[in-house]
Formats: sequence, C-alpha cells, structure tokens
Amino acid sequence: MMMNSGSSSGGGGSSGGGRTSWPSTTSPSGKRIQKELKELDSHPPPLSSAGPIADSLNHWLATFLGPPGTPYEGGIFFLDILFPNEYPFKPPKVMFKTRIYHCNVDSSGNVNLDILKDGWSPALTISKVLLAIRSIFLNPDPYNALVPPIAHLYQVDRKRHDELAAAWTHRFAK
Amino acid sequence: MVTQDSKQTPQNKKTPSDNPTQIPENCNDNHNTMSMFSPRFKSVAAMAGWDEETLLSTLIVEDTPERILRDKKRSDLLVKSPPSSSRRKRRRSRPGSISIAVFNLDLDDESTDTSIKEAEKDKIDLPKKVEELPKDKEQENADAEVAVDCANSSALPCMDRLRDELSCAICLDICYEPSTTPCGHSFCKNCLKSAAEKCGKRCPKCRQLISNGRSCTINTVLWNTIQLLFPAVIESRKSAAASSSSTASDYRKKSSERMISTNNEASDNNNVRMTRRLRVSRRSEEASLSSRRGVPNQDEDAALALRLQREEFMEIYRGSTLARSNLRAMAQRAMNLDRNRVV
Repeated sequence: MMMNSGSSSGGGGSSGGGRTSWPSTTSPSGKRIQKELKELDSHPPPLSSAGPIADSLNHWLATFLGPPGTPYEGGIFFLDILFPNEYPFKPPKVMFKTRIYHCNVDSSGNVNLDILKDGWSPALTISKVLLAIRSIFLNPDPYNALVPPIAHLYQVDRKRHDELAAAWTHRFAK
Repeated sequence: MVTQDSKQTPQNKKTPSDNPTQIPENCNDNHNTMSMFSPRFKSVAAMAGWDEETLLSTLIVEDTPERILRDKKRSDLLVKSPPSSSRRKRRRSRPGSISIAVFNLDLDDESTDTSIKEAEKDKIDLPKKVEELPKDKEQENADAEVAVDCANSSALPCMDRLRDELSCAICLDICYEPSTTPCGHSFCKNCLKSAAEKCGKRCPKCRQLISNGRSCTINTVLWNTIQLLFPAVIESRKSAAASSSSTASDYRKKSSERMISTNNEASDNNNVRMTRRLRVSRRSEEASLSSRRGVPNQDEDAALALRLQREEFMEIYRGSTLARSNLRAMAQRAMNLDRNRVV
C-alpha cells in the first residue's frame, strides 16, 4: 500500500556509507550538524543509523531496526529528519516514512514525542532523539496518543494490539 | 681589605664540600657572573688590583644566604645519595612551574564525572597561579609552549574526556567564554544567550529556570582552564571572531598611525630623545599587553611599525643637516596629513 519511495531510496542512502566530506558550512547550525554526524559515525546508537541524504546537511534519513521482543521485531523503519535553520534552538522535524501500527505515530508519519515539540532543548542531539524514538518502540505511550483507537486497544487488549502491530510490520516494513 | 676577608670566608666554606660533581657547576657560575661585568669594568678592576676571584667573591657575599642554604641542601643530599643522582634531582626541581604543568593530566582511575571535573579544575588552577607570578614575556612564552605541548600530547586518553567534559552541549564545541548557570551547567556565553532568547529561560541541560543576570557572566576559572588546555582551538575561534569584527581593528590601526605621525611632528632636536624613550616604553607596553592577551596580531603589527618607523627616523637623524631638513619636510607632511584627516 504505502511501501513508499522512502524505503527504496533509503536502502541505497543508508547502506552506502560513502561519507567522505560534506561541504563545509560556516553557519552555527551547519557546524553543529556536522559534529553530530561525526559523533554518530564514531558512536552509532543501537539498532539504528542516520545520515544526510544527497548534498544537503539539513535533510537526514534514519533507519531503525524493530527491537527484538516487540511486535516490530524484524522490521526496518525509515525516518525523515529535517533540521530547521535555527537548529539546535528549534527541534528537528522527524517523520516516519514507513507505516507502523503504533499509537504515537499517525498515518502520515508524525511522531508524538514531547522532546520534538515543547520539550525540546538545545542540549539534545539526534542520537538522543533516536534513543527516545527507540523507547517508544519498546513502550508505547497511550496517554499521549496520536491514534486513539490503537491506544485504546493497547490498553484493553494488548494481545490483539501486538498481533496487529506484527502484521503491519510484516506488511510494510520488510 | 674587606673584600679580601670576605673572599676568604666563602672559599673556606666551600672547601669541605669540594667534590668532583661540584666543580663544573662552579665553573658555570663563574662564567655567568663574569659575563655580568663589562670588559671596561674588569680592566678598571685589574688596575685597582682586584683579580676576578675578588670580584666574584663580592658577588658571592651578596647572595650568601641563598648559597648557604643551597650548600646545606647539597650536603644533605650528598649524605643521602650519590652525587650524580643528587645533581639530577636538583636540576629537575629547578624549572618549577613547568614540571607542575605536565602532571595535571594523569587521571586514569575511574570515578564520577563531576568529581573528575572538580579535581581537574583544582589541579589546573594550581600551576596557573604559579605561572602567573612572573610576568616576564619570556616566561609567558614558555608557558604557552608548555600548554601547546599538553595539547599536542593528546594521545593521552584523558584529553578526549576533557574535551567532552569541557565542550558546550549547544554547539558541541569547546566552551568559548563559558558561562555557568545557577544549576551548575556551563555553556558558551553566546550559546546560552541565544538559547535563553529562543527556547525560554531554562537550563538546556536540566530545564531549571535561569535568571537573566547570571547567565551572562563568564566563569573565569573555567575559561582560563580551557584556554590553557586547548590553546590552538581557542586561537582559531578567536581569530574567526576577530575577522568577523574587523572594523574595530581598523580603527585601532588608524589610531596607531596617528600616534606615529604626531610623534614625527614633535621631533624637534631636543624633544627627540624624550619622545624616543616614550615610544620605546609604549612599545614595550604594547608588546607586553599583546603577549598577555595572547592574540591580537594588530597590536604586534603596530609595535613593529613603530619600531621600524623609529629606526628609519634614527637613521635619518644621524645624517647631516640636509637630512634634518628632510625630516622637517616629513614632519610637515605628517602635520598636513593629520590636519586633513581632522577636517
């Protein structure tokens, strides 16, 4: 259905690993993004990776492997990360490109994460954002749901919820 | 003669502790002290019947207390250990501050980050204070070299950790002019300012409220520490900041030019010596200032320009009356220039 372009183009982009030298930027946000990229290269977070798409440093693609022990196990999820010009004083925009059955991610890929909105702090980095996203994979937050029916099912019938999530993972993320 | 007597005492004192290791040292001392006398003074002294030893002995009398102390220490060491090692020990202990600056980097044992930071700060603070005592230019240069050496020897594992500890969480670079929040977190002053403007007045690290006034003061201890540890990084950032605000340096250059021209103007025969002296003192002042601040190249440039100007001027002045009239014309020109600038 929505096995979209993100996954196909992302496959090339993320596995390429041909990170040589990005155009040197003089803006504070550019410098900071470059530093984060370097840090991510040397200390990649578990089960995920992230890097710029094409020439722009402001547009990244991140990949997630569904954590084992969850209904998302075995899936590969792609996320778009857009850095605003005022980064790090404004939060990056993170969107799921791969469909996922999750109460905190809506059908267009928006993520309901506090630190990506009001809870943002300039001391946060992309690797911390990835860690936060990983944590909602493990523990969905039904009280701040973007998709209330899924949240309801998660609370009422956890087994059914997990079956559906696994089915979606198999369908969209493999 | 009094000097003869005084000559006797230190030599008598020396004879008991006479040993092979000591002889070359004394020769060195002789050489150093002898170079303090001008040849003319030496010849006069020879005429008066004083030989070099006598002269030396007067010197020795002058710094006897220190000598006695040293001799005592030396004899103590001699008792405890063979002479060769004692010499080495003394030599090692001599450069004082420099040797201290080296050992502030040994923190291999594991403990909590904050305690490491605190310990580190203390350790670094100590040599800094020691080094600040002598204000000579040479001493400062030596300090800079030591600091550079520390930075170069970043093969040490703790250097990376220090870099992490001392970097700003906002720009992820080494803190530049760090400012510390009431909750104890440090960021670059500018980073913290823009964070407060754009994200509200909360600490980026722990979200505690931060007040306005305190967020803009520089944590001087931390800043000095950073400057000592990462001189190269700070230099590059400073020069980057300087190039962005070049207008200020332009103004400075202009004012120094004007100073030169006014100096020319005042260069009538009798004033020459005074102005020269003034200029020399100003030059040394400038040099010491720039060295203390560590960076500003334009100050050094101005000093160099002044010096060249002075040399040129002196050359002309040494010449004939023709040169003097030439000088007059130059001064006139400078005056005109100055007047034009004012108008």
